[in-house]
Amino acid sequence: MSAPTLAIDNLDLSFKGLLSRTQVLHGVTLTVEPGERVALVGESGSGKSVLARLVLGLLQDQRGVEVSGRIDFAGTELDQLSRTARRALRGRDMSMIFQDPTSSLNPMFTIGNQFHEVLQRRKPNLGSDQAHDTARSWLDRVAIPDTDRVLASYPFQLSGGMNQRVMIAMALANNPSLLLADEPGTALDVTVQAQTLELMRKLAEDVGTAVLFISHNLGVVREFADRVYVIHRGHIVESGQTADVFGNPGHPYTRALLAAIPRITGEGIPDLPEQIDLSHPPVHHNTGSADHG
Amino acid sequence: MIALTRLIAKRLATASLVLIGVSMLIFAIARVIPGDPARIALGPNATNEQVAKLRTELRLDDSLPAQYAHFVSELLQGNLGVSLYTNRPVTTDIAQFLPATLELVFVAGALMVLIGLPLGMLSARFEGKWADNLIRIVSLLGVSAPSFVWAVILMLLFAFYLPLFPIAGRISEQYAIDPVTGFLLIDTLLAGKPWAWLDAAWHIALPAFALALSGIGQAARLTRANMVETYNTPYIEMARSYGFSEGRIARRYAFKPSLIPSLTIIGLDFAAMLGNAFLVEAVFAWPGLSRYGVAVILRKDLNAILGTVLVISATFLIVNILVDLLIAWLNPRIRHAEQQP
Repeated sequence: MSAPTLAIDNLDLSFKGLLSRTQVLHGVTLTVEPGERVALVGESGSGKSVLARLVLGLLQDQRGVEVSGRIDFAGTELDQLSRTARRALRGRDMSMIFQDPTSSLNPMFTIGNQFHEVLQRRKPNLGSDQAHDTARSWLDRVAIPDTDRVLASYPFQLSGGMNQRVMIAMALANNPSLLLADEPGTALDVTVQAQTLELMRKLAEDVGTAVLFISHNLGVVREFADRVYVIHRGHIVESGQTADVFGNPGHPYTRALLAAIPRITGEGIPDLPEQIDLSHPPVHHNTGSADHG
Repeated sequence: MIALTRLIAKRLATASLVLIGVSMLIFAIARVIPGDPARIALGPNATNEQVAKLRTELRLDDSLPAQYAHFVSELLQGNLGVSLYTNRPVTTDIAQFLPATLELVFVAGALMVLIGLPLGMLSARFEGKWADNLIRIVSLLGVSAPSFVWAVILMLLFAFYLPLFPIAGRISEQYAIDPVTGFLLIDTLLAGKPWAWLDAAWHIALPAFALALSGIGQAARLTRANMVETYNTPYIEMARSYGFSEGRIARRYAFKPSLIPSLTIIGLDFAAMLGNAFLVEAVFAWPGLSRYGVAVILRKDLNAILGTVLVISATFLIVNILVDLLIAWLNPRIRHAEQQP
């Protein structure tokens, strides 16, 4: 059996201030198999986004960041790699989609220009004509009409949904084995978000990319993911197949999260339990595929 | 392109209004301050009749609006009148002295951009590291002392105690250069004399650097501040997530968006340089407009004062229009303004 695309083992992260030290992740353990779609669900501030940045290696250099534990990417321990080798993985073997598509694209360069440079991460000598053709075919795949106009545009000239598709196309264009999607499209309206997520799901499937999908949106997660990890205040409190976690939530926090989904019942916003029993041990649904120990 | 043309037209219109305002103001002030230009020009031994005759020639006994109207009608024919100090047309004087000043200011401006911007970029790229701290201290030093102080210090250090640079002048006497543009750095090349060019560059180095220092500090500090802000934007994080090198991110993705707000201030700093150049020129005996300007002010040489001020104001306005155009050209949001939905 091949190594999992991503294996995070007992990951701790804390930010050290002048006087205090805040622990953000507590012993997070998580795996993503090749081609698998895994969701990491939790409320804002639960540590979901920093996890993705740790996998990419974007946080480690910042002052006051303390990390322990181990992250393996396709069988390689990332911390053993040199900084350059680690950087070489980014944009080629792993890529990321961000929350706000419009502000994540550089306002000073055209889409075509940015696409070209992303493609050059894989093929450094790619000429602009070839890049243009490749970019165009990718924009076709994310259902962008009028590709030439879009490639010649700046991000601020396009709608958020359009930029989101561009970002998805860029993220997958180099056939990465892992795609980190950090609350993609939260800045977009719901219908556009649903369309683009569907596109992302299809494309990831075509390319064979494993996806770690970070979200607070349970509805989307349920549609999208094969497996789910629930994160709460930096602890993984529950994990398992999507159906198991949603159908038979074992941890009080997961139950509270599920209860917090507004339903069209006319009863208003659901009540949230004030106190969640955090001493409850984490629940891991035994699913077979998640176990590689 | 329509937007750009409109921008240029708008700026030119504003600039002309400013010039008209400046000319009225200086025209009035120069005549209101005490002292009789005719008396000063003719000296204490001239008779009252001689003074009165000159006053009539200069139309000093007319009303202010009538004098101004006369001035404008002459100006429209490209005539700024005769200087009482040199007894030559003011335009001839300015044509002789202005190039030296402009050369000094342009070289200083180039130094400001070529040194200040990269320093600011480095500083932001290594924020919090020793390189950043060093650059911040140096640029603070540059900003904190006026350029004439730097002129004196640099002259003492590098021309007097350590005679690496010449103390005064624009070029060594052995080189005879025919003035074509008046810019020695251009004229020496036109004459095909590379050694003379080197000599001129060697002469301009210290005064230009002294004049540029505060601008360099300002440009570095601004660029750093803008870039540090840019570094916190999502698009820089995205660039990092694609594994672009930090050097490339600094030079390409972070620098370009940060350049635009810095450029506006650089344009204004250039204006400050035009003023400061007067003092630096005095220190380095630079044969520019400053000595002429000071001399004509002390002599209440009305035509020359007005001519000098107008030329300097026009230079300032033109440079600022150019900077605005550069910004518009660099900023796709302005360049493509007419295409925005």
